Amino acid sequence: MAREMQFRTGTVPDNVDGRPVAVGDQLLAGDAYLLRTTSGFGYFYRKGHGLIVEQPPGADPNEQALWLNAGVYSAVACINGLKPIHASAVAWDGRVYAFTGAPGAGKSTLVAALGDCGLPMFCDDTLVLDLSGGPVICLPGHKRLKLTPQALALTGAQPQEKVSSAVDKFFAVPASGEVGVPLPLAQLVFLERGEIPAVEPLSGGERLARLGESHYTEFLFEQANALDRAEVFQQRAQLARRVAMSRLVRPWTPDRVAQSADFVARWIRAAGKQRR
Amino acid sequence: MTGPITKLTANYSETAIEDEVVLLNLDSGDFFSLKGTARHIWELIDGVRTRDAILAELARSYHLQAEALAPDVDGYLAELSTAGLIAR
Repeated sequence: MAREMQFRTGTVPDNVDGRPVAVGDQLLAGDAYLLRTTSGFGYFYRKGHGLIVEQPPGADPNEQALWLNAGVYSAVACINGLKPIHASAVAWDGRVYAFTGAPGAGKSTLVAALGDCGLPMFCDDTLVLDLSGGPVICLPGHKRLKLTPQALALTGAQPQEKVSSAVDKFFAVPASGEVGVPLPLAQLVFLERGEIPAVEPLSGGERLARLGESHYTEFLFEQANALDRAEVFQQRAQLARRVAMSRLVRPWTPDRVAQSADFVARWIRAAGKQRR
Repeated sequence: MTGPITKLTANYSETAIEDEVVLLNLDSGDFFSLKGTARHIWELIDGVRTRDAILAELARSYHLQAEALAPDVDGYLAELSTAGLIAR
């Protein structure tokens, strides 16, 4: 992926193989992807030909990086046979524990708080999976951790510069650092809020239903692989069979973030011991 | 209800995960999770067996009278039919 994401600057087309793409829109078709942002950035990738970035006059490098690391990275991953999912993750004992949920569910904050419990971060917001072999392999994160000022104060992560002038988040370095090597996926955990902390395994049907979250990574994967509804279902079923999944209920008010993170850290360590 | 019961395979996609069979209605997008007896009945629907043959098979398997099972089985078959998964 690092090789595929190397880019050159230039002019991007306004269509993909004759299919027009309006400003503010994106299209993934076959082995090509085009994104044209309203702020004037353009990103065009075709497998085997690399990535072109078109920069508007006075381009903001932070904004360029945000687009590059979000939809563009996921699209390039999909075109190259990988599966990005909407999750943040930590690594422990040579395996990855990934947390997923809707925006605002607390994925980044939990991962940052787990850093304060001694668990290094594996990725933030997007987890890229390689499903081609036996075990499901996670590729190391490509995004820097981003936290709100409140999350920074709660998690012990070290604040860096502001993400952009328009976003009230800061880049941050997690307290236990990051892991940068591919590792197998141990668990995919769906985040929920509730009074009593608990982790419960999900049955097959529940796993399948929950894998249907509407997120741009899902749409890109379906477009890249030209999947119809039945094929999407079978592809998710394959993932549901191969990956252990749980639901994690935890209190998620500011005064209980540390308590919840401690609960999750103990659960992860116990899961690691149980495997040995 | 004397004819064979058939699965409407064009209407759904099916997969097995551990002890469950999960069906997706391709039209509505609804999921159906079949476990235990529900899965057993689903597997007995083979395009040849009638409602009575399915009842007889279940009665043998669970050592029960077919009449005792009939209300639940009929209700379940009606659900599958309403969901567009089988034809009777």
